[in-house]
Amino acid sequence: MLQFLFDTLSRSSDLALIALGLSLVYGLAKFPNIAHVQYAMLGAFASVVLQRAGTPLALALGMASLLAGSLAVLCNLWVFSRLRRQGPAIAMIGSLALAMILVAAALAGHGASPLAYRLPLSAPWVLGPLFVAPNQALAMGVTLAVLLACTWLLLGTRQGRAMRALACNPPLAAAAGLDAERIIHAVHFLGAALAGLGGALLALNTGAYVNLGNDLLLPIFAAAILGGLGNPLGAVFGGLLIALAETLVTNLNIGWLYGQPMAFVPAGYIGAASFVILLLALLLRPYGLFDREVRRV
Amino acid sequence: MFDFCLHVLTLACLYGLMALALNLQAGYAGLLNFGHIAFVGVGAYAVGIGRLAGWPLPLSMLAGVACAMLLGVAVARLGRNLASDYWGIATLAVAEIVRIVVLNQSGMAGGAQGISALPGPLDALPETAQPLAFAVLGLFAVALAAWLSARLAASRFGRALRLLREQPALASCLGYDLGRLKRSATLASAAVAALAGSLLAGYTHFVSPDYLLAAQTFLVWSMLMIGGAGRVAGVLLGTVLVQGVYSFVPLARDLLGLGSETVGALRLGLIGAILLLCLLWRSAGLLPERLRTLP
Repeated sequence: MLQFLFDTLSRSSDLALIALGLSLVYGLAKFPNIAHVQYAMLGAFASVVLQRAGTPLALALGMASLLAGSLAVLCNLWVFSRLRRQGPAIAMIGSLALAMILVAAALAGHGASPLAYRLPLSAPWVLGPLFVAPNQALAMGVTLAVLLACTWLLLGTRQGRAMRALACNPPLAAAAGLDAERIIHAVHFLGAALAGLGGALLALNTGAYVNLGNDLLLPIFAAAILGGLGNPLGAVFGGLLIALAETLVTNLNIGWLYGQPMAFVPAGYIGAASFVILLLALLLRPYGLFDREVRRV
Repeated sequence: MFDFCLHVLTLACLYGLMALALNLQAGYAGLLNFGHIAFVGVGAYAVGIGRLAGWPLPLSMLAGVACAMLLGVAVARLGRNLASDYWGIATLAVAEIVRIVVLNQSGMAGGAQGISALPGPLDALPETAQPLAFAVLGLFAVALAAWLSARLAASRFGRALRLLREQPALASCLGYDLGRLKRSATLASAAVAALAGSLLAGYTHFVSPDYLLAAQTFLVWSMLMIGGAGRVAGVLLGTVLVQGVYSFVPLARDLLGLGSETVGALRLGLIGAILLLCLLWRSAGLLPERLRTLP
């Protein structure tokens, strides 16, 4: 049972930062950015390559995050600031094109084989009934710290208040003298930096590979939609719910259905669990679990 | 070389059918369906499962169209009260669920191996005549679909769909049932896409879960957006361009001596770049839709 809870927390910490970034950017830019998960993939590659070249791990994580953020600012400057004027559908398809280009760049730059950090092997810590891999604990600790910092940034500082104001009511925010373009750039930087860091931490367990972004696409969107797109902290709870569903599906003994002592859902269906939850959420709670402000109809 | 050109032509025709089907939803009615490939996959798998069950080919193709239309009803029901971008994500999830199910159904759908040795519609012909005959069949199907969708665009139904896209509030004021319009567009699109899927399975004599990858939907979308959504000639031009890039990049490999990973990257990157440039400079596509304006 304890192991089950720990697995859930570990998986949700994988999703939390990237989903938080996606939701943050959606709140201001008002379109679902498909390229967002590719920032995570590039962040993973950047961090792994830097670490293998001899940079200390902490520095590599930070630099990957900065790189992803800077890339997103450039993309926003050249692509999204122009496409956004033509409506969310065009901007979404534009982000799709960008995602194709980023995947192609990774494929051309590295190839299809995965790339792992060069870290010493270490035995898992045994805490009572729990098995904890040190990498897992590191990823979870960093995620928790960054989440707390983000919460403080959003809820406790002037910049955070400006971001929330602009997301809530752009004309009023502009009337109050907020510089919308500058804030949108800042939010793109922050969102992609979170995604890059999330991807780099994810690579601690899985290694960096070209399809990392594509594999994350639906779980991340499911998490962000569950929390209500545009509600950044809701996305973290959405991630928790998706992780709970995925872990539950793998661990649930459905033997009583077949009259056998042990029967499990095939591992191949894990991915489907989060998509089914996404569809149910869209059908039953189209306003998200928490947010009643975001209109989707 | 002639055989290769025939192969490219046939594939372009089949993808043209899929793109025309997507155009019914996305071009005319403005519905963001990112799970279009699910319809194609249902059509293709119907041929495969029909072969395993011992059904004649026409019957399994019909069954495929019927199943795809059922899926279309479900997908349209899902979109009844969702904004367009949310519906896009939901359809993406539906297509992915379909793919995961066939990937894990090793008994019924062959699992990751897929189903091979499928019957084709032209198996009665001699082996050497088949590529040419299939290309002619593909051209005929595309011409028919293009003619039908051009007719549809000019009809009252087509005008209602465009009104739904541009001014949904006005459309419902005029007494159109928006949900019904969306459903009819999705159903028509599902039927054509499923037909394209069964033809594709019949042409390659093979079907696998890879036919259902989300990347395939994105490929059809880029055909639509590059050529010009909402105009039949534009969609066909986009199909020819994208299929051209897709098929002739491997030729460049032999000329320049590139590795196979570079070829994959080049294909994806070129199509992404063309799509992005089109969106930035000609957001209505190379051949934009001509809207009738009243003087």
